[in-house]
Amino acid sequence: MRLNRSGKRGGRDASPSGRVSHRDQTAHALDAQLVSLAASGDDSAFTTLVTRCQPAVFRWALMFAGDPDEAEDITQEVFVRTYRQLGSYRSDGSLEAWLYRITRRAAIQMRRTRSRRNRLALSPAARPLRDVYTTDPGGRVDRERAATVIHELFAELPRRQREIFDLVDLQGLSPAEAAERTGMKPVSVRANLFKARKAIREGLLATHPSYRELSR
Amino acid sequence: MMTCEQCLSELTTGSLREMSPDSPVMVHCATCPDCAHLTTLLRDREYNAANVLNNLPPMSNPITVAETSVNLARRRRIGRVVVMLSGAALVVTIWIAAATTVFPALRRSDIVTSSELRTETISLSCLSPEQAADVIHPYIRSRGATYYMPTSGISAITVRGNATELAKARSQIEHFEQDPGAACRHTLGSTLKMLQDEISAAQKGTGTGAGANKASTEVKERPEQPERPQPKERPEPKERP
Repeated sequence: MRLNRSGKRGGRDASPSGRVSHRDQTAHALDAQLVSLAASGDDSAFTTLVTRCQPAVFRWALMFAGDPDEAEDITQEVFVRTYRQLGSYRSDGSLEAWLYRITRRAAIQMRRTRSRRNRLALSPAARPLRDVYTTDPGGRVDRERAATVIHELFAELPRRQREIFDLVDLQGLSPAEAAERTGMKPVSVRANLFKARKAIREGLLATHPSYRELSR
Repeated sequence: MMTCEQCLSELTTGSLREMSPDSPVMVHCATCPDCAHLTTLLRDREYNAANVLNNLPPMSNPITVAETSVNLARRRRIGRVVVMLSGAALVVTIWIAAATTVFPALRRSDIVTSSELRTETISLSCLSPEQAADVIHPYIRSRGATYYMPTSGISAITVRGNATELAKARSQIEHFEQDPGAACRHTLGSTLKMLQDEISAAQKGTGTGAGANKASTEVKERPEQPERPQPKERPEPKERP
C-alpha cells in the first residue's frame, strides 16, 4: 500500500479487477492472516498490521485533515477502531477498502467533534497550536509544506470533491476504483472530479489571455 | 488544430496525468507559448502536491500507535460496559420507584383512571329517578357519559361517566336525599300535624274554646297517608303458573 513518488500505488498496474497478480494474492492472504491472529488476541500480529498499514492510513487521513498533525490523530483513532472491529472483518474483502471506510468515518467524526470543541472554546489562544511535536527540523519543514499544499489545494473544496480529487489525481486511482472505494456511483465521481479540477485550476487558468473569452 | 479556447476547456476538467505528447492539447501547446506555460504550471503544481503528500511519512512510531490503540480500545470497552451497567441500574431503579410509589399514588388520586368510563347505580330513598336525573344532568358532560332511569319502577338511577362525574353525581344525590326540607319527607299527616301545631299555638295566644279543640281532634283521627313519589308506569307483577 505504499505510494511511490509520482503518486502511483505500488503494484497498481497489475491490480485492476480481473488481473490480480500473485503478489497481491499473497499480500491479501497475509493481511487476512494478520487480522485473524490479531482478532484472536495476538498483539504482536496487530503491531505488524499497524506497521504495514500505518503509512497508507496516514496518507488517507491527510486528505481529510487540515494538517499533518490532525492526520496523526486520525490515524491513531483509526487503529483504535480497527482493534475494536477486528472481528467484523471479512477475509474475502479487501483490507485496504475496509481500513479506508474506517478512516473516512473516523475522520468525519473527529472533524465534527473538533469543530464543536472549537465553537465551545473560550478563546483560540487557549488551544495548543500543535498536537504533535518533533525534534527533526527536516520533518517539520516537510509537514509545514504539506500543510501549505493541503490549504492551497483543498481549503475551498467540499469534502467529497476533495476526496475524489485526491484519490484520482494525486493518489492515482482510476475513477472506477475511487467509486468502489468511496461507495459512490461512477457518474457522481466524475461530476465531483470535474468540479474539483475546475475549482482548483481556475485561478491559474484565469491568467491566460483567452480565458475571459472562454468563460463568457 | 486546436484553438486556445478548446485547449483551455480541455485543461479545465481534463486529466493532466493522461495527456500523452501526441494528444491534441500537447500538440497545441507545442505551438502556443501561453498554453504551454499554463499546462506546465498546472502539471507541476499537481505533481508537486502529489509528491509532497504521498511521500510524507507518519511521525508516530507504529509500535507506539499499536500499543496505544490496544490500551485505548480496552479502556473504551470497559467504559462501555460501565455505561451499560449504569444505564441498566438506572432503568431498574426508575422502574422500582414507579412501581412502588408513583403508580399507586396516581391510582389513589384517580389521575390514571379519571378518563376511564365506569357505570354505577345509585339507590334513591327520597328522590324519584326523574328528580335525580334533573339534579345530575349538568354534571354528566364527558364523551360517552350518560344516565339511565329504570323503567320497572325501581327507585334508583344508573350513571355512566368518569370518576369525577360519578363522584359529583353521588354527592349531589346524597345532598338532596339527606335534606330534611326535601319534598319527599313531607307526608300529608306530617303536614296536618304541623298545621295543628300552628293552630294550637294560635289558640293559646287568643284563648278560644271547644270548637277549636274539636277540630283538632278530628284532624288527629285522620289516618296518615305517606306521600311518596310513585313511578309512572309500574308493570303489574306477573302471576306464576
